[in-house]
Amino acid sequence: MSATTIAQQFVANMGAGNVNATLALVAPNAQVKIYPLNAEGGNEIVRDYLQQLATAFPELTIRTRRLFVGGDNTAVVEIAIRGVQAGEFFGILDQEKLLDLDQVWMLHITDDKIDNITAYWDQNRLYRRLAVKRQDRVTITA
Amino acid sequence: MGNANGTQAGTIVTEFFDAYRAQDVERMVDLCSDNADFHYIPIEGWGRQRVIYGDGKVRTIGKTVWTQLIDSFPDLTNEIHKVTSDKEGNVAVECTLAGTQKKPFGSIAPMGKHFAVPHVFLFKVDSDGLIDEISAYWDGADFYRQLGRLEVD
Repeated sequence: MSATTIAQQFVANMGAGNVNATLALVAPNAQVKIYPLNAEGGNEIVRDYLQQLATAFPELTIRTRRLFVGGDNTAVVEIAIRGVQAGEFFGILDQEKLLDLDQVWMLHITDDKIDNITAYWDQNRLYRRLAVKRQDRVTITA
Repeated sequence: MGNANGTQAGTIVTEFFDAYRAQDVERMVDLCSDNADFHYIPIEGWGRQRVIYGDGKVRTIGKTVWTQLIDSFPDLTNEIHKVTSDKEGNVAVECTLAGTQKKPFGSIAPMGKHFAVPHVFLFKVDSDGLIDEISAYWDGADFYRQLGRLEVD
């Protein structure tokens, strides 16, 4: 499979809330960095994110704004995610708010598997959309 | 319109970051086409009766944002970690921007705090070797936290 195809499948599976299918594209020893969550480690990082995303935003839609593959086989994927919160998300209480958030996922691919993931988005916008008032009290919304 | 090849595009974008590190805003703008698009995704806030976005053209919004950043953070600098480019003029730059706040920036009063925040910039370079589009992503919550603000506006 081409890096483009793998990246497209990664995004499609994430949008469908299919955690296992998304993780099937990721190498067991992958290195993962999700900067807005201050999370760095292995597959468990992306599994946790995907599971929380699927639970909190069951009707998620994802639009791919840009996708290209660099010479080192890194797929650069710029997406816009959109959905109404229907459950707790990383401690943020559900207030049925609409989340629309732009993200960039850098997916390095070796032997048809994603072995390095780095994700960027603005967590401040996520907080704002989900009616969080303070960063140090994300579970308190009043 | 065609696009720069990968090597050429990567070189131009690296030159852009050199100019940014030298705080040479005019050079940064000169490396962009006349009508280059500018999207600083995390810039979103309330102005006077309207929402302000970091969205527009390099020669208007972009130049203003860069000038304000350098004015508020006089030691503003950047370090490139990785450049990813294709043969169609697409370039992604993963880098860290850092600086120490000396003047207000937006609604953030200066407390002399230092920030260092990972960014990814996405560029499109045209066949004339000019940057035709810039999009930038960073975690604004991390930026505000490092500057001492915990409120989400």
